Amino acid sequence: MSALAPPRTASTAATGSPSEPAPVRSGITVPAWVWAIPPVVLLALAVLYPLGSVISESFTGPDGGFSTRPYVDVLSSTRFRTALTTTVLIAVGSTVGCLVLGLVLALIIAFVPFPGSGSAGRFIDTYLSFPSFLITLALLFVYGTVGMANGMWTDLTGADSGPFTFLSTPWGVILAEVTFFTPFVLRPLLAAFAQIDTAQLEAASSLGARPARVVRSVILPEALPALVAGGALVLVLCLNEFAIVLFTGAKDVVTLPMLVYSSAILEADYTTACVVATINATLSIGLYLLYRSLTSRLGAPTDGGRRARP
Amino acid sequence: MGIRLDGVSVSYGGTTVLDSLDLTVEPGEFTALLGPSGSGKTTALRTVAGFVRPDSGRVHLGGRDVTDLPPYDRGVGMVVQSYALFPHMRVERNVAFGLRAQGVPRNEVASRVTEALEMTGMGSYARRYPRELSGGQQQRVAISRALAIRPKVLLLDEPLSALDARLRAEMTDELARLHRELPDLTVLHVTHDQGEALTLADRVAVLDRARLREYDTPRALYDRPRTAFTAGFVGSANLLPARLEGDRVRVCGLELPVSPEDLPAGTADGAGLQVCLRPHRIVLGPAEHTLRGTVTDLSWRGSVHHLTVDVDGRSVTVELAGHRTPPGPGGAVELGFDRDDAVLIPVGEEP
Amino acid sequence: MLVHDRLTRRAIQALFALLFLPLFALPLGVIVAASFSTGWSGALPSGPTLDNYAVAFGPQTLEALRVSVVTALVASVCALVIGTWAALSAASMGPKGRRIMDALFMLPVAVPTVVVGLALLVAFSRPPVLLNGTHTIVFLAHTVLVTAFAYQSVSAALTRLDPVYGQVAASLGARPARTLFLVRLPLLLPSLGAATGLCFALSMGELSATMMLYPPDWTPLPVRIFAATDRGALFTGSAFAVVLMATTLLVMFALSLVRTRAGHR
Repeated sequence: MSALAPPRTASTAATGSPSEPAPVRSGITVPAWVWAIPPVVLLALAVLYPLGSVISESFTGPDGGFSTRPYVDVLSSTRFRTALTTTVLIAVGSTVGCLVLGLVLALIIAFVPFPGSGSAGRFIDTYLSFPSFLITLALLFVYGTVGMANGMWTDLTGADSGPFTFLSTPWGVILAEVTFFTPFVLRPLLAAFAQIDTAQLEAASSLGARPARVVRSVILPEALPALVAGGALVLVLCLNEFAIVLFTGAKDVVTLPMLVYSSAILEADYTTACVVATINATLSIGLYLLYRSLTSRLGAPTDGGRRARP
Repeated sequence: MGIRLDGVSVSYGGTTVLDSLDLTVEPGEFTALLGPSGSGKTTALRTVAGFVRPDSGRVHLGGRDVTDLPPYDRGVGMVVQSYALFPHMRVERNVAFGLRAQGVPRNEVASRVTEALEMTGMGSYARRYPRELSGGQQQRVAISRALAIRPKVLLLDEPLSALDARLRAEMTDELARLHRELPDLTVLHVTHDQGEALTLADRVAVLDRARLREYDTPRALYDRPRTAFTAGFVGSANLLPARLEGDRVRVCGLELPVSPEDLPAGTADGAGLQVCLRPHRIVLGPAEHTLRGTVTDLSWRGSVHHLTVDVDGRSVTVELAGHRTPPGPGGAVELGFDRDDAVLIPVGEEP
Repeated sequence: MLVHDRLTRRAIQALFALLFLPLFALPLGVIVAASFSTGWSGALPSGPTLDNYAVAFGPQTLEALRVSVVTALVASVCALVIGTWAALSAASMGPKGRRIMDALFMLPVAVPTVVVGLALLVAFSRPPVLLNGTHTIVFLAHTVLVTAFAYQSVSAALTRLDPVYGQVAASLGARPARTLFLVRLPLLLPSLGAATGLCFALSMGELSATMMLYPPDWTPLPVRIFAATDRGALFTGSAFAVVLMATTLLVMFALSLVRTRAGHR
């Protein structure tokens, strides 16, 4: 019963009937939204105004007036189109990788536990507090042209160079993104698995269901909201990822954020940068809104992101 | 300071949780709000505390309309089921919290804290943190904290339901003692436990499905329930279908004489009624009125036997104390009761 | 337990090790190992040395570390204040108001970090407010980026906080401000500590927006790491990265001590 009752302090909207004596009031009660004004004003100045500036800059023609010309130019350039394709392919590929890997790891940690599996989960958690580019840096030592894998290959075969050259291709970016973003799938999954009643699993097993069947018919339906939400979040984060791509140093892997950076900083072409930024942001915000509505509809925890541990 | 609720209604998202509640608690009175979960009793208490604003109706404390007053200006003490002791404060600071909030002079606070803790026998625990106390001790501190501000009204929201049976009995005695020692304190106690309500309260308000069903002394509710709901919820009851025929009531082949004041208001001649018989008021063997039936079930509950008897196709429960050899299933029995133990109740839910 | 067969269980555990070790354990180990080496063209790094750390603790890198720590401290404190304020006011609103607040304050998570950097650069390179080339614009960018996470952490903690504490405090006569400062905020302290740690860590590792707008006299450590690796000094870069990780972990560890102390009382 008490769960039904949200805390509500007396509001100023009194509906006293005229026959009643004047109700006692204490001081002036301020409506809740008034307290939200200071942080919202700060947000408007530091986020909304700058984003507005980007949009207005993106519609500025060479003469300084309003123009859709920059969009026509950017959309028709092969550079942009290639970047868009690369970005989407890398993001989708990384997301699929994260989902598969996250699901497998979460299933093992939750249902086939072994000594140390819990700390492995916590270890993956600490990834969330490290910058993404460290992964690329590490991969340079492992699979880079002078790294561990190629070094072993040349030592063994006597060849001049090793076969591992994928690091400067989109595959290298995907590998790094899968490594870095898998925790974002793993955490909501582990949280969802923790909700599954072990009695339910034992009941299914005692009825003769094989493990694969238990996974399919009991565990996966429970995990689906977390999986969908985690996947959507990772897709947004992959679309936005910049540092990983920057660190691979590959000239031919240009994603949208990379294009924004090079247009603005290396070429000082702010209008083009703003056009690409607007398109990239629209894409990400759209997906993010989808993620929010999915999490609220599926009832998944909306804390799939870098939320603090309770 | 008395409490008066005038037509208080509360609804959340289209569901009415409290439907036009009228309730008056006299100054110094201990009133229990009794009902099953979802009956609206906690909501009623929360309108008095000020956490829920009624959609319509007014709340008065001591003759003053406090409907628009925020909780912190109402001066009512409150004790909740989860104790809600502030975990980061020692016991003494928990108890001092309300005193400081109300601006009690510094040099007075310490003595008031000691006094409040002594009242519940927790004087020697002042330096502890809540997590170092047992559930019962925490609840005593919570009561001290509420009493420290010397409220005129104390609200108890299922304060004993988190305790085990033994502690609950102990705390029930404790609350009864506090009520005796603080005769000016008006208490509103929400509970779903009829034993608690009957033991502690001067008057019991029975709520069911957002409505007040009955409001009377425990004795009257128990002996002369006016609704089938109260009869079944406060104690257990056999409800037998009956019919009014002139100055008699016909029930299971018996005829009981009735006087007009026994009848629920507005019962027309020939109308259906129910006869409420408490299981422990029925005796084996003939009495003023006697039903005949066959035993269908017998169970032993320690101090008493429960006998289920089929009377004209109706099942009647009888509670027998001190019978060494009660009749077993299949045996024919006579069930006797006095006219005074049969209470007439209308067929519908409404009083 | 789902799998009872011993052999299958071993196989599954082997699979876990096979996935886990190369993907997650290896990268961090590799960076630490590389930071003590001069070359890596075989199975193991070669040329053990401390020279990389001599560079890492040289004046230029130490200055970058100082810049990073100061930026992270300023950003996480500002983010904590603004995020907590926003989360508290959102919690006192109706569901509709809360949705609007959520959408507003989570916006920087959805927008690409590079775009946040570009937006601040474009907006504050022209009147009325000129911040381009100042330290302030770096503080501003980091604060914008981590406030979302502070808001999210505190909001989540607030929904977990039992409202009964605030209600009991109010019934004892405490006005909202007293309830906030003496009851609700102390109860939130562990979550606030966690949120601060998270914001600090994120700010310490922030590179994307920083690359867009850092002035030459305010170069955070991640930018130095990138500069080192970009010119091929991978091993020196690793030493920088180890210093960065160690500092981050140290501060988070200190904050977690505060947290457990607060939580234990």
